[in-house]
Amino acid sequence: MYAYTDFDRQFVRARAAQFRDQLERNLRGELGDDEFRPLRLQNGWYVQRHAPMLRVAVPYGELSSAQLRQLAVIARTFDRGYGHFTTRQNLQFNWIPLPQAADVMDLLAAVDMHGIQTSGNCIRNITSDALAGIAPDEIVDPRPYCEILRQWSTLHPEFAFLPRKFKIAVTGATEDRAATLWHDIGLHLLKNAAGEVGFKVFVGGGMGRTPVIGSLINEFVPWQQILVYIEAIVRVYNRYGRRDNAYKARIKILVKAEGPRFFDAVNSEFAAILTRDVDAGAQLITQAELDRVSASFVLPAGVKPVPAGFGDNASNDAPLAYTRWRERNVQLHRLPGYRAVTLSLKRAGQAPGDTTDVQMEQAAAIAERFSHGELRVTHEQNLLLPWVRESDLFALWQAAKAASFATPNIGLITDMIACPGGDFCGLANARSIPVAEQITERFADLDEQYDIGDIDLHISGCINSCGHHHSGHIGVLGVDKDGAEWYQLTLGGSDGSTASGASVTGKVIGPSFAADEISDAIEAVIATYRRERTVGERFIDSVRRLGTTPFRAATDAVRQATAAAHA
Amino acid sequence: MKFIDPDHDHWHTAIGDDDPMPTPGPCANRLLALEQWHAVREHWPRDVKAGVVVPNDTDIETLELDLPRLALIALQFPKWVDGRAYSQARLLRSRLRYTGEVRATGEVLVDMLPLLHRTGFDAVQLRADQSLESSQRALRFFAAHYQGDVQDTQPVFSRRAA
Repeated sequence: MYAYTDFDRQFVRARAAQFRDQLERNLRGELGDDEFRPLRLQNGWYVQRHAPMLRVAVPYGELSSAQLRQLAVIARTFDRGYGHFTTRQNLQFNWIPLPQAADVMDLLAAVDMHGIQTSGNCIRNITSDALAGIAPDEIVDPRPYCEILRQWSTLHPEFAFLPRKFKIAVTGATEDRAATLWHDIGLHLLKNAAGEVGFKVFVGGGMGRTPVIGSLINEFVPWQQILVYIEAIVRVYNRYGRRDNAYKARIKILVKAEGPRFFDAVNSEFAAILTRDVDAGAQLITQAELDRVSASFVLPAGVKPVPAGFGDNASNDAPLAYTRWRERNVQLHRLPGYRAVTLSLKRAGQAPGDTTDVQMEQAAAIAERFSHGELRVTHEQNLLLPWVRESDLFALWQAAKAASFATPNIGLITDMIACPGGDFCGLANARSIPVAEQITERFADLDEQYDIGDIDLHISGCINSCGHHHSGHIGVLGVDKDGAEWYQLTLGGSDGSTASGASVTGKVIGPSFAADEISDAIEAVIATYRRERTVGERFIDSVRRLGTTPFRAATDAVRQATAAAHA
Repeated sequence: MKFIDPDHDHWHTAIGDDDPMPTPGPCANRLLALEQWHAVREHWPRDVKAGVVVPNDTDIETLELDLPRLALIALQFPKWVDGRAYSQARLLRSRLRYTGEVRATGEVLVDMLPLLHRTGFDAVQLRADQSLESSQRALRFFAAHYQGDVQDTQPVFSRRAA
């Protein structure tokens, strides 16, 4: 993990002090609520349905056990004893009273954490591959570049008030596990024919009301120049992005409207920075800086390749649950003798991504015992242990099971992505959690889940798409009609992973379903798949082959309220 | 950072009885609208320095040839969360190497001060209700920043190496 320097520490403390000053001026009435709003947002403080929500940045998903323990303390002391991990690898609290906000920021700063740029119309927290630095298919470790990008984007003075939010995702592997083409900027680290490291740059992806897949703008930007290239993109966006309509303000709209002219503007701006600006060379990343940051991402002390084949120390009569867990929750590692292990945050009785203070402490203890105190927050809202010895797997499974992290469902239907929805979020049109609960109950039988196999179910409570419904094999979108909750169903979306196919938006099937129909509709989709699939065909492949027609017919058949309404 | 008191500002707009004068005569410390400047720049003597108010959707680079004749460029924040003028200021200083006054006008609030300073503004006219003391305090929270800016072009990693 990146090790904070004194500079980083002083910086986060300065930010906490600045926020305290702003909060105090707000509480004294000197700074009106409307004008305080963008300031608190850029520190992660929303005002939601019940109370403020705090989004804590977990840069590119890397979390230490000490940080997780501090988050547990905050959850217990200031919140109602839990937090929610998000698709953007962050953590959200839901119940902290705003007057205590500055105290919480101080506690976060004490463990090198903050909420800087987790909201607002600025460059948001950078996201990456949860398997960064450990994936067998990795070309270049993205973490040092993510950290350099984090530092560059932190309190960038020119880009704090963009037309709209701006999200950057980075991957360095052949497999895209970060949904990069769904981001304002997607970066793919690679090596050219000469073996030099650079970035393939995509721009203008995004979800929301107008889902768009990012376009390739540059095949190869040498790593030294990437900050300048991003500066060029963001400057063109800041100058020319629409500000008259919040729904048309993301960079994707500018890219679509301008097409090649946008690319030309970026490339001219890039050239102008390098050739005309004062001290342009100073913005190039130096080898010394890359080396300094990379030194934080070497193997943890004590981690060294061990001969494989010594097994996992499980007895021959290890339970089926363990075998399944090994199959679903354990992933290959670039180091011989090591594995990456996912702690599932998808279990009955808790909303997807939710974790109690006690569970946070249990996860921290497990990470300390089995993974050198390191965890990752995954895009799919789980926790991942990056440094597990294969020989520890059985012991880890027992510990994970005791702490309710061992549901062997990674990649299955109950491992769904879901936003907090209308139970918490002030923006939501409908609740997400009850839908997630119903799906978890209906597919509680693991045999059935295994039979259904790999599937991405994504649930968003509104068109802002925090639950990534556009990219789900099955997508559920909450909509509001005349004050009632309705749910639109989409099929065939993809996050851009190899298994899911090229990034694409799912297709809507039929009119929205009533709240008491949506789970039946999903069940009908699954039943249709099981009936129609060929041997070994995965859900997403069946949807591609069959099209939406048979699924639509099946879901129409379960309509009750909507059938009556449309009769 | 210079804080402009509008009652004691030595720059004055060229307003007629009711409307802006279309072609004001040459006069020191005249703060012109961009259209006025375009109308008079061919006629004004080159040694009379003008000030010009530039809307935030103007391509600032189109002013490049005029810069030696401009002593003040007032950039605008019609809404404080509209950040286009930060890019204009940055380009004026770093690309066009403008050394005259760059002033922030419009909805200029306390908490914008660090951003204004770092993107090259050297004068601000605060919105009337804003506290001068809080504005000055807002400039003092951070000793240094990560990325280079107009004040210090070196990012922290270059400063560290130096």
